[in-house]
Amino acid sequence: MNRLTMIFLSLVIAVAVIGYFVGIGDGVPQPDGYYESSLVDAELSRTPADDAKLIPAISYAEIADTPMGPTKSWQTMPQALPDADYDLYTQIEPSEADKEASSKLRASRRAFNGAPPVIPHPVENTTDAACYACHSGGVKMAGMKPSVMSHQFLGNCVQCHAPMAPAPFQDVDADVATNFVGLPAPKQGERAYQGAPPTIPHSQWMRENCNACHGGPNGWAGMESTHPWRTNCTQCHAPSATLDQMPDAELFTPQDVPMLPSLDVVEN
Amino acid sequence: MMDTKRRNFLKSAAMAAAGSMVAGNMSLPVVQADQGVSDLPDGDGLSWNKAPCRFCGTGCHVQVGVEDGRVVAIAGDKAADVNKGLLCVKGYHVGGILYGKDRLTQPLLRKDGRLTEIEWDEAIEIIAKRIFDSPETFAFYGSGQWTIPEGYAAQKFMKGGLSNNHIDPNARLCMASAVTGFLATYGVDEPAGCYQDLDECDVLILWGNNPAEMHPVLFSRVTDRRSRGETVRIIDIGTRRTRTTDAANDYLEMKPHGDVAISLGIMHLLIENDNYDKSFVEKHCNFRGDEADTPTLSGEPISEDEFRKRIAKYTPERVEELSGVPADEIRMLADLFADRDIRITSLWCMGMNQHTMGTAINSLVHGVHLLSGHFGRPGDAPTSLTGQPSACGTVREVGTLSHALPGGRVIANPEHREQCEGFWNVRDGSINEVPGYHTVEMFERFTKPTAEGGDITTMLVQVTNPGQTLPNLNALFNDKKGLEDKFLIVSDVYPTATTALADLILPAAMWVEKNGMFGNSERRTQQWFKMVDPPGEARDDCWMTIAIARKLFEMGHEGMKDKDGDFIFAVKDDDGQEIPIWEFDRYYDTNVDKHLFEEYRLFTRMKHKNLAPYEEYVKARGLRWPVVEQEDGSWRETRFRFSGFDDPFVEEGQEFDFYHSTSNDGRAQIWFHEYQPPPEVPDDEYPMWLCTGRVLEHWHTGTMTRRLAPLNRAMPTAYVEMHLEDAKAANIRQGEVVTIESRRGVCDLPVWIDGRGRPPRGTVFVPFFDESKLINNVTLEAYDPFSKQPDYKKCAVRVVKKSAAKVSS
Repeated sequence: MNRLTMIFLSLVIAVAVIGYFVGIGDGVPQPDGYYESSLVDAELSRTPADDAKLIPAISYAEIADTPMGPTKSWQTMPQALPDADYDLYTQIEPSEADKEASSKLRASRRAFNGAPPVIPHPVENTTDAACYACHSGGVKMAGMKPSVMSHQFLGNCVQCHAPMAPAPFQDVDADVATNFVGLPAPKQGERAYQGAPPTIPHSQWMRENCNACHGGPNGWAGMESTHPWRTNCTQCHAPSATLDQMPDAELFTPQDVPMLPSLDVVEN
Repeated sequence: MMDTKRRNFLKSAAMAAAGSMVAGNMSLPVVQADQGVSDLPDGDGLSWNKAPCRFCGTGCHVQVGVEDGRVVAIAGDKAADVNKGLLCVKGYHVGGILYGKDRLTQPLLRKDGRLTEIEWDEAIEIIAKRIFDSPETFAFYGSGQWTIPEGYAAQKFMKGGLSNNHIDPNARLCMASAVTGFLATYGVDEPAGCYQDLDECDVLILWGNNPAEMHPVLFSRVTDRRSRGETVRIIDIGTRRTRTTDAANDYLEMKPHGDVAISLGIMHLLIENDNYDKSFVEKHCNFRGDEADTPTLSGEPISEDEFRKRIAKYTPERVEELSGVPADEIRMLADLFADRDIRITSLWCMGMNQHTMGTAINSLVHGVHLLSGHFGRPGDAPTSLTGQPSACGTVREVGTLSHALPGGRVIANPEHREQCEGFWNVRDGSINEVPGYHTVEMFERFTKPTAEGGDITTMLVQVTNPGQTLPNLNALFNDKKGLEDKFLIVSDVYPTATTALADLILPAAMWVEKNGMFGNSERRTQQWFKMVDPPGEARDDCWMTIAIARKLFEMGHEGMKDKDGDFIFAVKDDDGQEIPIWEFDRYYDTNVDKHLFEEYRLFTRMKHKNLAPYEEYVKARGLRWPVVEQEDGSWRETRFRFSGFDDPFVEEGQEFDFYHSTSNDGRAQIWFHEYQPPPEVPDDEYPMWLCTGRVLEHWHTGTMTRRLAPLNRAMPTAYVEMHLEDAKAANIRQGEVVTIESRRGVCDLPVWIDGRGRPPRGTVFVPFFDESKLINNVTLEAYDPFSKQPDYKKCAVRVVKKSAAKVSS
């Protein structure tokens, strides 16, 4: 009887002890591996000496001799700023090969020069905001470089830019048989003489932001400006009245600009 | 097999395009064709000229870049008030529509079931002979894509020349209910406002309308105001979520026909709360109801008390029951309309027009605006949009409908017939007093054997594709096959579902391959010149009509002579010599468009839709009628019709004047119509609603846009949009091909769950652009009693898994 009581009491005590330790746990499930020894060991083996974030405990007697204030990690240290990923003043030497490659890639996204480029990826019913996230200022990410918007903020991006087929229909044969041949991109603007700033060989409409293609970290290889620090492009590069659809532009060719009559000089 | 290979190539091309965001050397996707054209364009000798876009009724102007006789580039026209230099994805690629490899270039005659190339002379003779032998069983089916001179020539040829009124356009399927709505309300067709309303409204209400895809230039004109810091509240009332909903502040999801209840509910609250515009109603409006046993467009006058009595039952709670829109939202709409300090514009298109209560709902929405006084100030406008470039210009104004005559005249009115005979200088009584067959009836009679009363035996179709767009094709079109004594002549630019059954195919010139004029949704008449030659033997539709008429003239048909014995389309040079415009190589010796337009212009004054001389349109990017000559000889267009501050025909000192009022007292009509349920509602057998419509990338039947690489690649196939839960319940997966079945026919389509549009449970949506997946085999041909426009927006269907469909068949 006594023996049974003893066994019973020992069990009660055992359950109580287990219950106590279970009870003092916070009940929060821990991710697998959290208590794996290597992690725990690493945690336990940290000492104030090799970890600036740990503040060693001191006795009351030591207080007077211990400097108080910012810990080591809070103390200022002379730092070198990281290099900017883009240096405005890097020497740019556009190569013909780069230019050719960029032009081809550009042309591949347009039915003709001046057409809004197609979107080379599917658009899954995302809003305009999703487009702006990558295309407003441009980003470089994982080797990808989304084009920068060359025009002002406009709503309804897909109004003008056709995307690739929606995901469920990507395997549908979308080939079309056409004889359409689009206007090619101009190779360069005109220069009045060697070294003169070239004219702008395309319309400025929807291309108000020259940097989208010609400068900054997002410029197209071969088309980048050699002087991206200059900010007023049309100061030196003349646009075309015809391409910009200026009123009555078609009436005036460069040879036929309306002028005052020549001076009537009497020859003697 | 080859297909798989090509698909893989295309897929890798698309992936290369996606991957090529990494600058580097990549294989290039095929966008720019370079297929054996020897002299590629280089920008030398490029010339630019204006033209309205070929596609929708918005009426954007493009600048067309032409080099070496080919269109090579398109730019938005910055001088155009409609689009201010912007276009949509279709407009930017409109130049490519001329260059599909399968352009029709030679007349083709079906002999023993096979198509054989023939010469034009033979083709014209075959047609003329069939008409000569049986003029009264001939029908001419045209289009809102006819240019104004093309429609006018067809109209004069049929009604003036052949004394045959069986001429109707595809616009019957598109905006006939808008016409009857305007006529019933104002006594004269077409919107009073203009696109400036979009710039000035505080609230934009879209009644079953998705302009973000269908009229994108107009929609971004509104949403871009927000980018500039202005506030516009967009309220989308619809049966499914669309891209327009994404930009809307409020989305009110209604049941089909809910719009009727909603408009009645708003009017009820305005009266109940006594905050309608009493002074506007007192001065400018009457009330109307359709109580007669045979309802007419002018209806019966009713008193304001009677109107109040009838509308009393449309309480917000009752409207909620009928429309599914919560009562509080109805109150919200009524409160907006009660606020006279804000400007409200309503927009609608096919949602309200393709409706068996189309005339009623059009009239009711006008009524909401009139009752609340939201009319006639810039930004306060009930405005219907059109889907075709000249539905307004050619169909509504030239009147190429089976019951109409040019300039707002009708066949039923003897005076109108007499006036037209006078203008045309044809013998008295030339115009048949019995209206012709409207579209649905015309095709019913064409596809029915002659012995069974099918009294249309020869049909000429120009600039449209009824084999794809008619509702219930199995009843209205497909039966033509095998009917020996029926002869279908189709003029088109590419092979279509219609040419598939044609006995004679005529290759047509299109867009800037010919001179033309269009009239857009805001009363703007536009002009362009021919810029390039059509391919092969393709020729102008207007020339075809004139050549057929000339052949009949030569065969001795009396109707082709005017009172003086001259050919009805005679054009004389300065010396009085007739120019043989029926010979195609002489057709451009003169500007036939100009001659026809100047003749047509005389018709437009009766209804105060005055047009300016042709030369004024050459100078302008379109002018909005009425265009009236000023004292200094200049021509002034009109932005706001019936409004004293702008309309030259409003009596001096009047704020508003509805000068074509059906009640002859200068007042507009506020109509009451009882709500009626849709003609076919889902039941146990066919448990789902089917709605059909369009997508941004393709225009109508896709004949043009599906030949443009960037567009077809963006939207390569029609699909059925389904709610996720409906798909789950039927064990249907994304992309799986299912069968849509109705009582009338079937159509197989891939499923797009949570696609571009998101229908609610119990509704599916299918676009109709894909000629390889004809959803109109499934749709219903029930139509509005006044406008005869069919309802493509609602019928009952079931969605069947393919495997299950096979078991049952």
